[in-house]
Amino acid sequence: MEAKETEIAEEEIDLAPVHAILDSFPSRDRRYLIPMLQKVQGVYRYLPDKAVQILMEALELTRAEIFGVISFYPGLLITEPGKYIIKLCYGTACFVKGANIIANKIDECYHMRPGDTDETKLFTLQTASCLGNCGAAPMAIIGDDTHGTIDPEKTLELLGSYKLEDEPEQQPEEISS
Amino acid sequence: MSIIVKKIVNFKINGNDASAPEGTIIIEAAKEHGFEVTNLCYNRKLKPFAACRTCMVDMRTPDGKKELVYSCTQPVAEGIEIFTATEETDRYNGACLEMLLVEHPLDCPICDKSGVCPLQDNTEALQLANGRFEIQRRNEPSDKSNPLIEFYLNRCIMCGLCVRACDEIQGVQALDFHQRGMKTMIGTANQEPLDCEFCGQCITVCPTGALMDMSSQERGLAALFKTNHTTCGYCSWGCTVQVETKKNKVARFVGDETNNLGINEGNLCAKGRFGHGIIHNENRIKSPLMNFGGTFKEVSWDEAIKTIVGRVQAAINRNGPETVAGIAGEKLTNEENYLFQKLFRGVYGSNQITNLAHMRAPYINQFMIRCFENGINSKPVTELEKSDVILIFNSDLPSEYPVGGNSARKGAIFTGTDLIIANPRKVIFKNESNIDIRLNYSLGSDGSVANRISRILIDQGIIDVAKAKSAIPNYDEMVQSLVPYTAEATQSSTGLSDEVLTRAAKRFGRTADRFILIGNDIFDTGQGEDVLNALLNLSILVHHGAEGSISIFPPREHCNSQGVNDMGCTPDFLPGYRSFNDSDAISSLKSEWGIDALKFDNNNPANDLIENCTNGTIKFLHIAGEDPVHSYYKGADIKNALQIVPFLVVQDVYMTETAQMADIILPATTFAEKEGSFTNMTRHIQKVTPATLPQNQSCTDHDIFIKLAEVFGKEFNNSSVSEVQDEISKIVPIYKNKLPGTKSEQWIPDGFKKNPYFQVTSMHEVAKPKEGFPFQLVSNNHMFHIGSYTHYAKALTDIGPDCIAELNPKDAEALNVIDGDRIVIESTTQKLEVPILISTVTVKGMVYLPKNWVNVPVNMLRNGEEGPISIKISKAN
Repeated sequence: MEAKETEIAEEEIDLAPVHAILDSFPSRDRRYLIPMLQKVQGVYRYLPDKAVQILMEALELTRAEIFGVISFYPGLLITEPGKYIIKLCYGTACFVKGANIIANKIDECYHMRPGDTDETKLFTLQTASCLGNCGAAPMAIIGDDTHGTIDPEKTLELLGSYKLEDEPEQQPEEISS
Repeated sequence: MSIIVKKIVNFKINGNDASAPEGTIIIEAAKEHGFEVTNLCYNRKLKPFAACRTCMVDMRTPDGKKELVYSCTQPVAEGIEIFTATEETDRYNGACLEMLLVEHPLDCPICDKSGVCPLQDNTEALQLANGRFEIQRRNEPSDKSNPLIEFYLNRCIMCGLCVRACDEIQGVQALDFHQRGMKTMIGTANQEPLDCEFCGQCITVCPTGALMDMSSQERGLAALFKTNHTTCGYCSWGCTVQVETKKNKVARFVGDETNNLGINEGNLCAKGRFGHGIIHNENRIKSPLMNFGGTFKEVSWDEAIKTIVGRVQAAINRNGPETVAGIAGEKLTNEENYLFQKLFRGVYGSNQITNLAHMRAPYINQFMIRCFENGINSKPVTELEKSDVILIFNSDLPSEYPVGGNSARKGAIFTGTDLIIANPRKVIFKNESNIDIRLNYSLGSDGSVANRISRILIDQGIIDVAKAKSAIPNYDEMVQSLVPYTAEATQSSTGLSDEVLTRAAKRFGRTADRFILIGNDIFDTGQGEDVLNALLNLSILVHHGAEGSISIFPPREHCNSQGVNDMGCTPDFLPGYRSFNDSDAISSLKSEWGIDALKFDNNNPANDLIENCTNGTIKFLHIAGEDPVHSYYKGADIKNALQIVPFLVVQDVYMTETAQMADIILPATTFAEKEGSFTNMTRHIQKVTPATLPQNQSCTDHDIFIKLAEVFGKEFNNSSVSEVQDEISKIVPIYKNKLPGTKSEQWIPDGFKKNPYFQVTSMHEVAKPKEGFPFQLVSNNHMFHIGSYTHYAKALTDIGPDCIAELNPKDAEALNVIDGDRIVIESTTQKLEVPILISTVTVKGMVYLPKNWVNVPVNMLRNGEEGPISIKISKAN
């Protein structure tokens, strides 16, 4: 999660689901903060600032407190991620087998460091401490798919295939609009 | 002390017998008995946290079992034996410290904290010279994104003291831990610029130089600064500040957390910590100035003093001494105010001295005296944090008495102090009390709130009614006066349900040590005297009818608003609230002052000073350090009066609006250049020590009065500060043996007759806005500003640059304005334009506007109107 990118133009988002989430809990107690954040992220794929604001006021938390919690969990995002989240395993086995070289390669082609989203908003790169698939090191999870024994070139190929898969979907939409 | 008495437990520490109240943690108990335990994250003002792991001690349980425990969290217990700094604990504590030193840069020569750094001290105590670990420094840039507090996180050791101070002491929670693991850092959300109350408590508690005060020009090596302690010259809470000077120049103000030093435990507020910019300032009045037809020309001190004395003499000879009047200063020391009234009474022969607080609310001293007559002497304010319940009445504590708020929060955490906050605004006061009752009553119904609570105490038998009745002669009359305050009537006037008032009454009435803190806002209700009396009656009821104690203090605004009255700077009282009929007082003054006659008639034009200036009775007026043109509630009237008065002398530090109207201006000094004492609102007499010499050609107010007396031909017998203090000690009984105030002692009422008596009040209608002016304006001091000087402190204008009106979201919506839009505020007499902030603190139909900006003259809007000011608002074009 990158904190500094605040310039994202947040279009008008519908905040009704946030209120509905708040109402779905037995009380507005700060002990429900994490499940609330998870549910909000479930709706928007990240935590829009306006939604966080509503939680802050409802739970009587300050900005520093709520972002202290959010920044503790890498799973909670405060910027909109790309369509596919790449979880590149940085566990011991994967790291030894060159996970960081893969990360460098991704940076070279897509200009994103761990935590970043690429320009087309298709991918967000994250690293993970261990994804429990050391036998297939180095490995990554892209979207919902697991990919084992990858290397820099293979990774680029994989990403390319996701890109292709994505394009035909987009084109008809563009024509219709 | 709280009513809950703690058991004392006995134990041994390093072989010595020791005892402490149950629940005391080992580190405190050890300190009490002279053994310091190494630590980095412990602070007695905060809850234990145990982050640094460097305070381990060896504890033996009564059955001989050895346990290594952290002394900041482990309480003492009966029969235990404690060993500090053993070979083993030093080894463990040292190892943890060594790991901190892997990251902590050793840039001590350029660090603000060097020499007063707990990390340095602990490193030395544990004799850590060469670390065993490879050095791995962080390399984060320093963060200067806010104007006052620099974050240099490379030095941070993650003790969490700043985060906890911000939360527990200040209730702001602007700081927190972010990220996790190796990347953990303290700071604001997403490293946004810090936007908080700027109390700087985080700087005080930081054990390293990770948080630094940027308001100072001088950086580095705190240990090389010269330090002394003085009493803050802003609000009336009376905090002790440590003033640090370098080459005779004030570098910065620091909070000193030494135990029993002053009343504030090292807590300060934005004004007290960052407001030192007023001392060395280009805009100060540099030399005496004389008004030649509208332009001021510099003159010598001799010429200025001679001219003043000539005019005083002429006025006395032609029109009598009663035509010579003075306004004493709420920011002058006790000694200076004493000399001021001595100059008028003893030298000029005039009793016409007053002060602005007295002019605004002449009943306030009477209120204090009535407390004493009823046997309510009130405890020292240092006991506030040990009280069981605090009623905060019409005071926005974080703005008005910020450090009072700190004590209340500490009480809530450590004593279990409960809070009842009564205010027409929905003021924010975050705290950890178990019971926090908010009485958000309708504007102007202050008296009804207090009286209804009194009635509930009686009706529901929460207090011992028979006992109260037998103690106070006019009990029945008082009960009679409470008849109109039925549940329904009170609900309709205050908007509060009887249930919440009953809860407040029950909490307040049951056995407890109680404090009532009253805000200066009650003077603007238009019924200040009745509100004070209602609160006094409530106090009398619990004082006689319930167990425990009650402490209640009159609201005071400035650093010496109490002392100026103590010193007799009103036409009603001689120094020490002694009456003019008191022959002992008169004769002691006569002999001490070496004069034959000291007799004044009862005609005191100073009691209606404005009127008597306007009608020409007063021929000469001397204003010492006050700016009534901006601060007095009858803005236009006082301006007119000062224009008419034939000769006006103003002595002040800055060219205020009042000074601009003077015939002669004398440059005076700030509190940091003065010696003497201030008395705070809770009557603690505290020492004021000069940190630097008077700047430019300025003179202390003390020296000005001495010179005036000398040139007048009646030189004072005592002239040095200590001589004057001896004189005060001799003739003001309540100040006997209290000066110079090094011990911060409270003066004890003495010589006030016992006269238990209720002050019966009648019910007030809640003031409705005037026809055509549907909004009501309330005003008081801004969080970062007070009096007429703070606007010259750059640090304070950096954080509080603009006068911003606050508006309820509903009113803002109706007016179609958003944050930052400008609105026009119009009263019957004045119209002005200000930007707005939408805030739920302000209730619907109310506009809040701070009174501290010269370009936003709130007193002109008010222009003598009592109660909330009726206004109309519109969106500015």
